[in-house]
Amino acid sequence: MRWTVLATCAVGVGFVLAVAATVGGQARHGGALVIRAASDPGTLNGAITTASPAHTVADSIFNGLVQLDARLQPVPDLAERWTVAPDGRTYTFRLARGVRWHDGRPFTSADVKFTYEHVLLTYHARTRAGLEGVLDAVDAPDPHTVVFRFKRPFGALLQRADVTEAPILPRHLYEGTDVLQHPANAVPVGTGPFRFKEWQRGAEVTLVKNEAYFKHGAPSMDLLVFRILPQPALAVIALERGEVHYHDTVPAPDVRRLQATGAFTLVPALAGPGGSFCISTAFPNLTRPPLDQVRVRQAIYQALNREFMVLAVAGGLGRVATAPISRGIPWAHHPGLPPVRYDPARANALLDEAGVRRGADGVRLRLTFPVATTQIRYAEVMRDNLRDVGIEVVVQPMEFTAAVQTVFVRREFDLAFASYCNGPDPDIGVKRMYVSSNIQPIPFSNGAGYRNPRVDDLFDAATRSLDLPQRGRHYRDIQEILWQEVPYFWLVETFRYVGYPRTLRDVQSWSGNVAERAYWSVAR
Amino acid sequence: MLLLLRFAGRRMVTALPMLAAVAVVTFLLVRLAPGDPVYVLAGEGGTPAYYALVRQRLGLDRPLPEQLARYLATLARGDLGWSLHQQRPVGALIVERLPATLVLAGAAFLLATAAGLGLGVWAAARAGSVVDRLLLVTATVGSSLPVFWTGLLLVLVFAWHLHWVPVQGMMAAPAPDTAAARVLDVLHHLVLPACALALQPLASVSRLMRLKLLEALAEPYIVTARAKGLSQGRVLAHAARNALLPVLTVMGGYAQMLVSGAVLTETVFAWPGLGRLALDATLTRDYPLILGLVLTGAASTVALHWLTDVLYGAIDPRITYG
Repeated sequence: MRWTVLATCAVGVGFVLAVAATVGGQARHGGALVIRAASDPGTLNGAITTASPAHTVADSIFNGLVQLDARLQPVPDLAERWTVAPDGRTYTFRLARGVRWHDGRPFTSADVKFTYEHVLLTYHARTRAGLEGVLDAVDAPDPHTVVFRFKRPFGALLQRADVTEAPILPRHLYEGTDVLQHPANAVPVGTGPFRFKEWQRGAEVTLVKNEAYFKHGAPSMDLLVFRILPQPALAVIALERGEVHYHDTVPAPDVRRLQATGAFTLVPALAGPGGSFCISTAFPNLTRPPLDQVRVRQAIYQALNREFMVLAVAGGLGRVATAPISRGIPWAHHPGLPPVRYDPARANALLDEAGVRRGADGVRLRLTFPVATTQIRYAEVMRDNLRDVGIEVVVQPMEFTAAVQTVFVRREFDLAFASYCNGPDPDIGVKRMYVSSNIQPIPFSNGAGYRNPRVDDLFDAATRSLDLPQRGRHYRDIQEILWQEVPYFWLVETFRYVGYPRTLRDVQSWSGNVAERAYWSVAR
Repeated sequence: MLLLLRFAGRRMVTALPMLAAVAVVTFLLVRLAPGDPVYVLAGEGGTPAYYALVRQRLGLDRPLPEQLARYLATLARGDLGWSLHQQRPVGALIVERLPATLVLAGAAFLLATAAGLGLGVWAAARAGSVVDRLLLVTATVGSSLPVFWTGLLLVLVFAWHLHWVPVQGMMAAPAPDTAAARVLDVLHHLVLPACALALQPLASVSRLMRLKLLEALAEPYIVTARAKGLSQGRVLAHAARNALLPVLTVMGGYAQMLVSGAVLTETVFAWPGLGRLALDATLTRDYPLILGLVLTGAASTVALHWLTDVLYGAIDPRITYG
């Protein structure tokens, strides 16, 4: 009996110790987190650019009005709550109390009003494109209230108000100055979880914990270092060696290898400054015959072996695109579109029906395909696939910016390729591909040159509506039309994998503000 | 000495118009290349009006001759211009990144010179032996390997497998606390990139030194030296002095190549020097920065050629500056 009691006590004590050890292990604070950055940020003011290298760093220094959670739904950030008027024209934000800039000055609604009116609506490409002409005014009736008034109902403000889309700047530093050349762009003052410490150009940017951060218990890390390591494959080796702790684009061949070690967490990054819900997409120049014929485009789409592309080009880190809007936005994605299967025989038949017949040399058509060298493998698979149906594709490899200019600005192409990222809301990243008003000589616009007044109207209706199910219906109607007309060839929904040690917890890999709540679960 | 100064002055005067020509030609070449800094700078998803605004802010909406005239006027004031992407003076950016490149190129140069000359002399002294042939083959292979390949190989072997040295960067993050620890850390990080960068010149220099030394050893004055009963070491020293001249010319070229051509090495090893700056400038179409770097490269070429000429005189008393 006595032994039983002793044994029970021993087990009990052991259990308590084990629990204590686990809890102690989980709550470890402090330390440094080293994040891999692909290139020098250029500027640390995220409000004047949408370039991802700048946001990789700046998003930890600033805040937006809202944050997006793991499902990309808006949750409080600088705004602790908000209301939307029933007519969809007025958004009222109540700001968090006790927020201070890193220089100690209080944050107020005047900062929000100034940032939107004088910076974001002028210099942030996406925010300007999304709100220009729709936003009537930003009011600051008291220091803790901001009111956005729109000319017409506007349903997509909240998804555009996070730190990547709309970081808030300190008015007291920027007002009355040249925002683009302000010294604070290199020595930023934000409200975010980390304060700027040092920028060694080309090498690293170091941030330190904001001890006065307005969110309770955050951040945990003492130091955040962004190390600039341009080569993704070598940065993986640095990750394995512990020289960096967070790699936001682990190359496909390394994902499984790292998983197999058991020492790393690998998660598909849905969003973040590197883009969200990206679909590798090829497109025809719709102004050039015979690509202006639906049947020819359907034939080309059927001739493309997209399963092979998932395996051979995306390294298995993706899935065949089944609709124009990514499955990552479930309320807008159309799940019921008929599958388009790889079927060269059917493609050949369709081309014959369309009157695009083979010549004496067996070639029906010759197409030029200028493409960035970084994306050339998609073009090479397409060239092989299309050769089987009598279409000769001349792949023209070029450097990325040169390809962007050739395709989007000069429009000198028959076929082209882009990774179109959908963004957290179709209003941000999908609409630009299809509305006729966006057939413009600018990068990642409506590259195919697609025009359909019905589609234009449906996108407009979706933007105006506040009712999510209603917006979803509009987007599904759009996708049905697009599926019939095939103005783009939606190839692969790609996953960008993030890798970090298993001992790193609570990483917000979907957000620009990656390390706000991250902590080490064991001593380092 | 006076002759040397006059020679140096004359070289400086002839260098200025050449640098101006380099500036004009590079300006035009860079603009002819496709790509547009506005789209890189401003990011994607903007409206045409927005891109037009950014273009205007950068002065890229002006006619090309006007932009060129403005740029040359800026240069005439001794100013290399303003970086479009980094929004800072080009001169400051180059000065900031120069030490990293000089450290890397300097280490590689020292390594290539010391090891290259040493191996060359060693092989020449044992000409025809198995060791000599082995060295020759190794040197031939070494001088033909691309630097990015050897760089990757070195990383895989010494950083990944053996854990002897760090993978990338110039210093650990977070950086060590004391100055002494920082210097040691930089040296530790320097090992792989310096070896990768030094390999090609090392191989070439050793081959050339061997060849020139063997040629010199066949000269009549060496026969005389041997007849006088000089030791093998003294004889080699005699011959080496003459053999060094052509090697020096090649080394001058390599010194220039190491400074301006470290792009690949710096990219592989994430070394924050001028090579990486040049690559970033090209990818972002940062015109003033590209031009600034090209001009700096051209100026350093002129300077190194001048230095080679001066050293020629120091080594060979028969060369005078007229």
